[in-house]
Amino acid sequence: MAETFSAKSNDTAALAARLEKRWAFMMVSIMALLVGVMIFTGLHWAMMPPSRVETINPSTLHVSGEFVESNLGSAVEADGSITVRIIGQQYSFTPQCIVVPAKTPITFRVTSADVIHGMLITGTNINSMVEPGYISTFKTEFEQTGDHLMPCHEYCGVGHEAMWANVRVVDKDAFSKMAAKAGRLTCDL
Amino acid sequence: MNDHRPRLISLRNPWFTASAGAVLILFLFTVFVGFVWLPSAQNDALFKGLLNAICSAAGVPRAWLSEASPPVQPKAPVSSVVLTPDMLGGPSSGGSVGRGATLALRCTMCHGARGVSAANTPNLAGQYEASIYKELRDFQSGARTSAVMAPMVVGLGDQDLRDLSAYYASLPRGDVSAAQQAHAMPNIVATGSPMRNIAPCGSCHGDMAIKLGAPWLGPQPHDYLKSQLEAFANDRRHNDISAQMRNIARNMTADEINASASYYAGSK
Repeated sequence: MAETFSAKSNDTAALAARLEKRWAFMMVSIMALLVGVMIFTGLHWAMMPPSRVETINPSTLHVSGEFVESNLGSAVEADGSITVRIIGQQYSFTPQCIVVPAKTPITFRVTSADVIHGMLITGTNINSMVEPGYISTFKTEFEQTGDHLMPCHEYCGVGHEAMWANVRVVDKDAFSKMAAKAGRLTCDL
Repeated sequence: MNDHRPRLISLRNPWFTASAGAVLILFLFTVFVGFVWLPSAQNDALFKGLLNAICSAAGVPRAWLSEASPPVQPKAPVSSVVLTPDMLGGPSSGGSVGRGATLALRCTMCHGARGVSAANTPNLAGQYEASIYKELRDFQSGARTSAVMAPMVVGLGDQDLRDLSAYYASLPRGDVSAAQQAHAMPNIVATGSPMRNIAPCGSCHGDMAIKLGAPWLGPQPHDYLKSQLEAFANDRRHNDISAQMRNIARNMTADEINASASYYAGSK
């Protein structure tokens, strides 16, 4: 009787050890898979590790610095790239119509004057939060010309649903013709 | 019996060393991935180099726009008032109602003895203190132009403007609820027009929510409201910070301007 019991308990112990090993192997595999997914999206898709943190005082945006009203919109830099500056506020983006050239490196600089907003340019992978006190910086390039909608996608108050802007991607020549005229470009009315 | 069992958490327990060791290795590897590998793959000079990659991934604030053309300065003066919830607070900076009432004598010929008048000027009784203060400062700086108001604010100091704002804010509002209830709230006030980029008036000017700096609109004279909306729409008035009101007024139709002005005026 005693012998059978001990043999049985050895069997059980061996079974438990096997199960534990399998379980550990599965768990480590799942974690490794998740890390792998993170690496793959980080390298090959737009996924980004913690973004470019930069702070700014949201109450004095309009007084001085790069977010004064006359400096909002698209600026042509010395190296030919475009810097687009946008303010999100309850309940509109300024400028309301953003114009950029296709096939040109573009840097977006976006911040909020009041509460947390968001911006998403439909049909592209551009999707960022717009937070008061922080400047969201990201680089992109539009391959094709066309119009995109840019809604605020972070609930920002009772007028949130009316907060959106247009993004107009025009070809390089048309853009440089526009750029010859004014300092900062928008397609506002 | 228990004395013979090996301790669970011990380096001599192969289960413990293997599992804790594997987790530690995985942790160190993910730290390397998150703080070094993935940031370094970003196409930005501030991510290059070990220290840069780690600092950037950890969220150390820095300037991300290296070279840029200098900011374009405004052609006409824009509002330089800094709106914060406590801008008029504090015992030293807060306005004095009595002093404001004395200073307000110069305002009474247009704005009425108690801040209400039939002269198609804005009614100031019960207006938000911050809104009055902001407009006065904008008249002084030239951000808002008015042939009538410009000479009136010459020579007034910052404390004078605070006192005037405190005085008018302290006066009782006229009873507008009855007048406004006579008209159903028009769509532009209640819901705006989301498909045309127009937030409801009530989302900033009362009714639903109040935004700092935005004035209380009821009751204001119909003609005044209409002329100001048209001035915003045509860019003749531009002291709204970052085009906040111009963005809205530009998209409004003439009917919507009329409907909202009538509603806030409490008249047809």
